[in-house]
Amino acid sequence: MDVGQLQRQFIDYTASLFREEWRGFLDDQFTQLRKLQDENNPDFVFEVVSLFFDDSEKLVNNMAKALEQPTVEFKQVDAHVHQFKGSSSSIGAHRVKNVCVAFRSFCEQQNIDGCKRCLQQLKHEYSLLKSKLETLFRLEQQIMAAGGSIPMVE
Amino acid sequence: MEKMGFGNVTSTSKTMKIIDTEKKISVLIVEDDLLIQKIHKVMMTKFGTEVQLAANGKEAVDLFLSGSSFDLILTDLEMPIMDGIEATKKLRSMGVTSMIVGVTSRNQDSEIQAFMKSGLNACYVKPLNAEKVTAVLNELKNI
Repeated sequence: MDVGQLQRQFIDYTASLFREEWRGFLDDQFTQLRKLQDENNPDFVFEVVSLFFDDSEKLVNNMAKALEQPTVEFKQVDAHVHQFKGSSSSIGAHRVKNVCVAFRSFCEQQNIDGCKRCLQQLKHEYSLLKSKLETLFRLEQQIMAAGGSIPMVE
Repeated sequence: MEKMGFGNVTSTSKTMKIIDTEKKISVLIVEDDLLIQKIHKVMMTKFGTEVQLAANGKEAVDLFLSGSSFDLILTDLEMPIMDGIEATKKLRSMGVTSMIVGVTSRNQDSEIQAFMKSGLNACYVKPLNAEKVTAVLNELKNI
Protein backbone atom coordinates (compact mmCIF):
# COMPACT_ATOMS: atom_id res chain seq x y z
CA MET A 1 0.00 0.00 0.00
CA ASP A 2 1.45 3.38 -0.92
CA VAL A 3 1.58 6.42 1.37
CA GLY A 4 -1.48 8.03 -0.21
CA GLN A 5 -3.57 4.90 0.30
CA LEU A 6 -2.38 4.60 3.90
CA GLN A 7 -3.23 8.24 4.53
CA ARG A 8 -6.71 7.79 3.07
CA GLN A 9 -7.22 4.69 5.18
CA PHE A 10 -6.11 6.70 8.22
CA ILE A 11 -8.52 9.54 7.45
CA ASP A 12 -11.45 7.15 6.93
CA TYR A 13 -10.66 5.18 10.06
CA THR A 14 -10.26 8.28 12.22
CA ALA A 15 -13.52 9.73 10.89
CA SER A 16 -15.31 6.48 11.73
CA LEU A 17 -14.31 6.82 15.39
CA PHE A 18 -16.17 10.13 15.61
CA ARG A 19 -19.32 9.14 13.73
CA GLU A 20 -22.39 10.00 15.77
CA GLU A 21 -24.53 7.31 14.18
CA TRP A 22 -22.17 4.78 15.71
CA ARG A 23 -22.23 6.65 19.06
CA GLY A 24 -18.76 8.01 18.45
CA PHE A 25 -15.90 6.48 20.38
CA LEU A 26 -14.12 9.82 20.35
CA ASP A 27 -15.19 13.42 20.62
CA ASP A 28 -13.63 16.79 19.80
CA GLN A 29 -11.31 16.63 22.80
CA PHE A 30 -9.25 13.97 20.98
CA THR A 31 -8.91 16.30 18.00
CA GLN A 32 -7.70 19.01 20.38
CA LEU A 33 -5.04 16.65 21.71
CA ARG A 34 -3.87 15.84 18.18
CA LYS A 35 -3.52 19.57 17.52
CA LEU A 36 -1.19 19.82 20.51
CA GLN A 37 1.22 17.35 18.91
CA ASP A 38 4.10 19.03 17.09
CA GLU A 39 7.86 18.81 16.63
CA ASN A 40 8.34 19.73 20.32
CA ASN A 41 6.00 16.94 21.41
CA PRO A 42 6.06 14.45 18.49
CA ASP A 43 4.62 11.54 20.48
CA PHE A 44 2.25 13.53 22.65
CA VAL A 45 -0.97 11.72 21.74
CA PHE A 46 0.62 8.28 22.05
CA GLU A 47 2.09 9.21 25.46
CA VAL A 48 -1.20 10.62 26.74
CA VAL A 49 -3.18 7.62 25.51
CA SER A 50 -0.61 5.24 27.03
CA LEU A 51 -0.99 7.01 30.38
CA PHE A 52 -4.75 6.70 29.97
CA PHE A 53 -4.47 2.95 29.32
CA ASP A 54 -2.28 2.45 32.42
CA ASP A 55 -4.58 4.52 34.64
CA SER A 56 -7.71 2.86 33.26
CA GLU A 57 -6.57 -0.65 33.95
CA LYS A 58 -5.73 0.22 37.55
CA LEU A 59 -9.02 2.03 38.06
CA VAL A 60 -11.13 -0.79 36.60
CA ASN A 61 -9.31 -3.28 38.85
CA ASN A 62 -9.92 -1.03 41.85
CA MET A 63 -13.62 -0.73 41.00
CA ALA A 64 -13.93 -4.50 40.62
CA LYS A 65 -12.24 -5.13 43.97
CA ALA A 66 -14.39 -2.52 45.69
CA LEU A 67 -17.57 -4.09 44.28
CA GLU A 68 -16.52 -7.56 45.44
CA GLN A 69 -16.30 -6.53 49.08
CA PRO A 70 -18.89 -7.99 51.48
CA THR A 71 -19.89 -4.42 52.35
CA VAL A 72 -19.50 -2.22 49.31
CA GLU A 73 -18.15 1.27 50.00
CA PHE A 74 -20.05 3.12 47.28
CA LYS A 75 -18.14 6.34 47.96
CA GLN A 76 -14.91 4.53 47.22
CA VAL A 77 -16.34 3.06 44.01
CA ASP A 78 -17.62 6.50 43.06
CA ALA A 79 -14.20 8.03 43.64
CA HIS A 80 -12.65 5.58 41.16
CA VAL A 81 -15.42 6.16 38.62
CA HIS A 82 -15.09 9.91 39.04
CA GLN A 83 -11.38 9.69 38.31
CA PHE A 84 -12.02 7.50 35.27
CA LYS A 85 -14.64 9.96 34.04
CA GLY A 86 -12.12 12.78 34.36
CA SER A 87 -9.37 11.02 32.46
CA SER A 88 -11.69 9.65 29.77
CA SER A 89 -13.20 13.07 29.10
CA SER A 90 -9.70 14.59 29.00
CA ILE A 91 -8.68 12.35 26.11
CA GLY A 92 -12.04 12.53 24.35
CA ALA A 93 -13.14 8.96 25.13
CA HIS A 94 -16.80 9.79 24.61
CA ARG A 95 -18.48 6.42 25.14
CA VAL A 96 -16.33 5.49 28.12
CA LYS A 97 -17.14 8.83 29.72
CA ASN A 98 -20.88 8.29 29.19
CA VAL A 99 -20.75 4.91 30.92
CA CYS A 100 -18.96 6.59 33.84
CA VAL A 101 -21.81 9.12 34.11
CA ALA A 102 -24.37 6.31 34.37
CA PHE A 103 -22.12 4.40 36.75
CA ARG A 104 -21.92 7.39 39.12
CA SER A 105 -25.72 7.53 39.27
CA PHE A 106 -25.85 3.93 40.41
CA CYS A 107 -23.17 4.64 43.02
CA GLU A 108 -25.26 7.50 44.33
CA GLN A 109 -28.30 5.21 44.52
CA GLN A 110 -26.12 2.52 46.16
CA ASN A 111 -27.48 0.13 43.54
CA ILE A 112 -25.04 -2.81 43.54
CA ASP A 113 -26.58 -4.55 40.51
CA GLY A 114 -26.54 -1.34 38.51
CA CYS A 115 -22.92 -0.76 39.49
CA LYS A 116 -21.89 -4.26 38.47
CA ARG A 117 -23.66 -3.91 35.11
CA CYS A 118 -21.91 -0.59 34.54
CA LEU A 119 -18.56 -2.11 35.41
CA GLN A 120 -19.08 -4.79 32.74
CA GLN A 121 -20.14 -2.15 30.24
CA LEU A 122 -17.14 -0.03 31.16
CA LYS A 123 -14.77 -2.96 30.62
CA HIS A 124 -16.41 -3.61 27.24
CA GLU A 125 -16.26 0.02 26.07
CA TYR A 126 -12.71 0.47 27.31
CA SER A 127 -11.62 -2.72 25.53
CA LEU A 128 -13.23 -1.56 22.28
CA LEU A 129 -11.66 1.90 22.56
CA LYS A 130 -8.24 0.46 23.31
CA SER A 131 -8.46 -1.76 20.26
CA LYS A 132 -9.56 1.15 18.05
CA LEU A 133 -6.77 3.44 19.28
CA GLU A 134 -4.15 0.73 18.89
CA THR A 135 -5.28 0.30 15.29
CA LEU A 136 -5.04 4.05 14.79
CA PHE A 137 -1.48 4.15 16.13
CA ARG A 138 -0.52 1.20 13.92
CA LEU A 139 -1.82 3.08 10.89
CA GLU A 140 0.22 6.11 11.95
CA GLN A 141 3.35 3.99 12.24
CA GLN A 142 2.75 2.51 8.79
CA ILE A 143 2.39 5.99 7.29
CA MET A 144 5.58 7.21 9.01
CA ALA A 145 7.47 4.07 7.91
CA ALA A 146 6.35 4.72 4.32
CA GLY A 147 7.77 8.25 4.57
CA GLY A 148 4.45 10.07 4.82
CA SER A 149 2.99 12.56 7.29
CA ILE A 150 -0.04 12.03 9.47
CA PRO A 151 -3.08 13.88 8.08
CA MET A 152 -5.06 16.07 10.49
CA VAL A 153 -8.69 14.95 10.55
CA GLU A 154 -11.14 17.61 11.84
CA MET B 1 -11.91 40.79 46.15
CA GLU B 2 -14.64 40.74 43.53
CA LYS B 3 -15.35 37.23 42.34
CA MET B 4 -15.71 36.90 38.59
CA GLY B 5 -17.46 33.97 37.08
CA PHE B 6 -16.72 34.21 33.42
CA GLY B 7 -17.23 30.50 32.89
CA ASN B 8 -19.49 30.77 29.83
CA VAL B 9 -17.22 30.67 26.81
CA THR B 10 -18.64 32.75 24.02
CA SER B 11 -15.95 32.15 21.44
CA THR B 12 -17.02 29.71 18.76
CA SER B 13 -13.60 29.34 17.24
CA LYS B 14 -11.95 26.06 18.00
CA THR B 15 -8.55 26.97 16.63
CA MET B 16 -5.57 27.51 18.87
CA LYS B 17 -4.81 31.18 19.31
CA ILE B 18 -1.45 32.32 20.57
CA ILE B 19 -2.15 35.32 22.76
CA ASP B 20 0.11 38.21 21.81
CA THR B 21 1.63 39.48 25.04
CA GLU B 22 4.73 41.51 25.69
CA LYS B 23 6.08 39.01 28.19
CA LYS B 24 5.33 35.36 28.67
CA ILE B 25 2.46 34.68 31.03
CA SER B 26 3.57 32.46 33.91
CA VAL B 27 1.18 29.66 34.80
CA LEU B 28 1.12 27.32 37.77
CA ILE B 29 -0.83 24.13 37.10
CA VAL B 30 -1.98 22.52 40.35
CA GLU B 31 -3.09 18.98 39.54
CA ASP B 32 -2.38 15.55 41.03
CA ASP B 33 -3.41 13.44 38.01
CA LEU B 34 -0.35 12.85 35.79
CA LEU B 35 -2.41 12.43 32.62
CA ILE B 36 -4.21 15.72 33.10
CA GLN B 37 -1.00 17.45 34.22
CA LYS B 38 0.58 16.44 30.93
CA ILE B 39 -2.34 17.60 28.81
CA HIS B 40 -2.71 20.92 30.57
CA LYS B 41 1.03 21.58 30.55
CA VAL B 42 1.37 20.99 26.81
CA MET B 43 -1.80 22.94 26.11
CA MET B 44 -0.70 25.99 28.10
CA THR B 45 2.81 25.84 26.62
CA LYS B 46 1.30 25.73 23.14
CA PHE B 47 -0.48 28.99 24.00
CA GLY B 48 2.90 30.58 24.65
CA THR B 49 2.87 30.55 28.44
CA GLU B 50 5.60 29.43 30.84
CA VAL B 51 4.37 26.55 32.91
CA GLN B 52 5.27 25.11 36.28
CA LEU B 53 3.57 22.14 37.93
CA ALA B 54 2.44 21.46 41.49
CA ALA B 55 0.97 18.08 42.43
CA ASN B 56 -1.33 19.41 45.14
CA GLY B 57 -2.46 22.53 46.93
CA LYS B 58 0.29 22.41 49.53
CA GLU B 59 3.00 22.40 46.85
CA ALA B 60 1.33 25.43 45.28
CA VAL B 61 1.21 27.31 48.59
CA ASP B 62 4.82 26.36 49.34
CA LEU B 63 5.91 27.80 45.99
CA PHE B 64 4.39 31.15 46.89
CA LEU B 65 5.84 31.00 50.40
CA SER B 66 9.28 30.48 48.85
CA GLY B 67 8.89 33.68 46.86
CA SER B 68 7.61 32.40 43.52
CA SER B 69 4.79 34.19 41.80
CA PHE B 70 2.62 33.40 38.80
CA ASP B 71 0.25 35.41 36.63
CA LEU B 72 -2.22 32.53 36.49
CA ILE B 73 -2.96 29.50 38.64
CA LEU B 74 -5.00 26.66 37.18
CA THR B 75 -6.09 24.44 40.01
CA ASP B 76 -7.93 21.17 40.32
CA LEU B 77 -10.40 20.78 43.17
CA GLU B 78 -9.80 17.28 44.50
CA MET B 79 -6.19 16.62 45.39
CA PRO B 80 -4.45 14.80 48.21
CA ILE B 81 -2.79 16.65 51.12
CA MET B 82 -4.45 20.00 50.30
CA ASP B 83 -7.38 20.38 47.93
CA GLY B 84 -8.16 23.29 45.61
CA ILE B 85 -10.57 25.02 47.98
CA GLU B 86 -8.15 25.02 50.90
CA ALA B 87 -5.23 26.05 48.69
CA THR B 88 -7.16 28.94 47.12
CA LYS B 89 -8.32 30.21 50.52
CA LYS B 90 -4.76 30.00 51.82
CA LEU B 91 -3.29 31.80 48.81
CA ARG B 92 -5.85 34.61 49.05
CA SER B 93 -5.24 34.96 52.79
CA MET B 94 -1.53 35.32 51.97
CA GLY B 95 -2.40 38.27 49.73
CA VAL B 96 -1.90 36.44 46.42
CA THR B 97 -3.66 38.43 43.70
CA SER B 98 -2.86 36.13 40.77
CA MET B 99 -5.79 35.02 38.64
CA ILE B 100 -6.87 31.68 40.03
CA VAL B 101 -9.01 29.49 37.80
CA GLY B 102 -10.52 26.24 38.99
CA VAL B 103 -10.57 23.28 36.59
CA THR B 104 -12.62 20.43 37.99
CA SER B 105 -14.44 17.26 37.02
CA ARG B 106 -17.21 18.19 39.44
CA ASN B 107 -20.15 19.66 37.60
CA GLN B 108 -22.85 20.15 40.24
CA ASP B 109 -23.71 23.84 40.72
CA SER B 110 -23.29 23.61 44.48
CA GLU B 111 -19.80 22.15 44.11
CA ILE B 112 -18.73 24.81 41.60
CA GLN B 113 -20.16 27.57 43.81
CA ALA B 114 -18.29 26.28 46.84
CA PHE B 115 -15.08 26.24 44.81
CA MET B 116 -15.74 29.76 43.49
CA LYS B 117 -16.37 31.06 47.02
CA SER B 118 -12.86 30.03 48.05
CA GLY B 119 -11.48 32.90 45.97
CA LEU B 120 -11.45 31.81 42.35
CA ASN B 121 -11.75 34.22 39.44
CA ALA B 122 -13.50 31.54 37.40
CA CYS B 123 -14.16 27.85 37.29
CA TYR B 124 -14.36 25.46 34.39
CA VAL B 125 -15.46 21.87 34.14
CA LYS B 126 -12.78 19.58 32.70
CA PRO B 127 -11.53 19.07 30.12
CA LEU B 128 -9.66 22.25 29.31
CA ASN B 129 -9.80 23.00 25.63
CA ALA B 130 -8.63 25.74 23.28
CA GLU B 131 -11.78 27.82 23.75
CA LYS B 132 -11.55 27.85 27.54
CA VAL B 133 -7.83 28.61 27.53
CA THR B 134 -8.36 31.47 25.07
CA ALA B 135 -11.10 32.91 27.29
CA VAL B 136 -8.90 32.71 30.40
CA LEU B 137 -5.86 34.28 28.76
CA ASN B 138 -7.92 37.05 27.17
CA GLU B 139 -9.46 37.78 30.56
CA LEU B 140 -5.99 37.88 32.09
CA LYS B 141 -4.86 40.37 29.47
CA ASN B 142 -7.80 42.61 30.37
CA ILE B 143 -7.02 42.73 34.09
